[in-house]
Amino acid sequence: MPVGDYRIKEIRKVADGIFRLAFAGNMEAEPGQFLQVAVGRTHDPLLRRPLSIHDCVDGEVVLLFHPAGRGTNLLAEKKPGDSLNVLGPLGKGFPLPAGQTAVLVAGGIGIAPLFYLAKVLKGAGKEIVFLAGARDTGSLYIPPELPALAADLRFTTDDGSAGRRGLVTEELPAILDRIKGEVYACGPLPMLREVARIARNSGVPCHVSLEARMACGVGACQGCTVAAVAGDWQKYKRVCVEGPVFGSGEVIL
Amino acid sequence: MNAVDLSVQIGRLKLKNPVMPASGCFGYGEEYAPYYDLSRLGAIVVKGTTADPCPGNPPVRLAETPAGLLNAIGLQNPGAVAAAAKINKLGALGIPVIVNVAGHSTEDYCRAVRILETESTASAYELNVSCPNVASGGMAFGTRPETTAALVKKVRALTDRTLIVKLSPNVTDIVAIARAAAEAGADALSLINTLLGMAIDIKTRRPVLANLTGGLSGPAVKPVALRMVWQVTSAVEVPVIGLGGISNADDAVEFMLAGATAVAIGTANFRNPYACPEVIDGIAGYLRHNGFASVTEIVGLAKKERPGGEHGAGKTDYCP
Repeated sequence: MPVGDYRIKEIRKVADGIFRLAFAGNMEAEPGQFLQVAVGRTHDPLLRRPLSIHDCVDGEVVLLFHPAGRGTNLLAEKKPGDSLNVLGPLGKGFPLPAGQTAVLVAGGIGIAPLFYLAKVLKGAGKEIVFLAGARDTGSLYIPPELPALAADLRFTTDDGSAGRRGLVTEELPAILDRIKGEVYACGPLPMLREVARIARNSGVPCHVSLEARMACGVGACQGCTVAAVAGDWQKYKRVCVEGPVFGSGEVIL
Repeated sequence: MNAVDLSVQIGRLKLKNPVMPASGCFGYGEEYAPYYDLSRLGAIVVKGTTADPCPGNPPVRLAETPAGLLNAIGLQNPGAVAAAAKINKLGALGIPVIVNVAGHSTEDYCRAVRILETESTASAYELNVSCPNVASGGMAFGTRPETTAALVKKVRALTDRTLIVKLSPNVTDIVAIARAAAEAGADALSLINTLLGMAIDIKTRRPVLANLTGGLSGPAVKPVALRMVWQVTSAVEVPVIGLGGISNADDAVEFMLAGATAVAIGTANFRNPYACPEVIDGIAGYLRHNGFASVTEIVGLAKKERPGGEHGAGKTDYCP
């Protein structure tokens, strides 16, 4: 998990509120791990931004991000050829499913780590059901390679402007009735709660990737904690090292 | 290239260089061990440790602010017994290990120190009378000279190990508290802890931190910390560890010129895991470049009278 300067190869807006940034470099990264990205070289913004690895191929690492605040807005202004200072890969990624099938549920920018997971699962010969939800057609980003990876790929939008109208989680109970696949989810907290509930009812393992305000990214500051389901004194777990992927039964969502 | 002497003394501790990580920003060292050889540090300062395990505050615990960071971790730590095991492992580094000790009551602090005296090989204690993020105790001890002195005396009676007192900047007169701590038996002082602050999310219209308020650190606090180090080192004889917003060697040199014998690096570690070794190398470079043989030559140098200079050692009162 070294610190390195990398050269940005490509940066572009791929959907409303979603940027794709590719930089040159080789990394050994598990799906679900993240990078701590410095958006500038000055004191302000002070902290690195934790971003999930969206893809990692020979010679190239890809991030997806949603410009939502000062840091990510500055990142969106980067140009190809600019240097990017990165710490990582960090954190604990997704475990591979015990069985043959995995059900991936992505809400909005939550597609970032799940696309890379789908690639690795496909490589491991697993069968993938992929549910992707977004607000509307403009903010729905489906990576071009995804249809070839998922045996069953379904879209949902809040307004029905692409795919089925409704919530991404609505089809999940029926799918889990049919196939007892392990569930992997990344997206807004209400979505994760609902996915965890449905998986629990279906009796299948569920892995969630969490976001948190983060400082160090390596476990030192204990700033990025999430409430844990634990018997001992440790009421909180660190998203950066015990996560960002947790079993949905480990944490209070 | 001439070798420069970076060694300094803090109480009974001989430090091979004046740079250490700040408590709470370095865990128990484990997290940064993969990045560099921790034995390069002048000393290691581990996380605020309480007698009993402490779960810490609920999230949200962090808020980024202009060139700064608010935190309200709430002293999350495994308690003195479990911490002692981690502290003892650090003994293998061959550098002083300083344990930040915190509590909610005088008895809490004393219990923690008693446990660490018997269970740990710690070289020194840094008495945290300045944590702004716990409901009781913490900063309450460090905001009055009398309570600071009373606590320092109690702990002093329990240990012959080096006793450092970490001061809060959230006071009217830090010099009075520094004097009280030194007179009560502190071997050294460290300053500053974080400045009490807050942030509000204008979307949710609620405070960002679950604790409502938090401690501000990072480059934003550096001028305040530097001023306090200048004032305190002008008033007390014991050595001072300066901290507060030090990001690089230039900042560290400023604190030493103001009077700090050593420096601690806190928030900067989060941005740059190599901040501490870079500051060590940078201080050595500064000394060589400017013809100093020893780092002790620059301690308080900014206060020395110079021909035509206005900044005499006596002029330490800040009066806007």
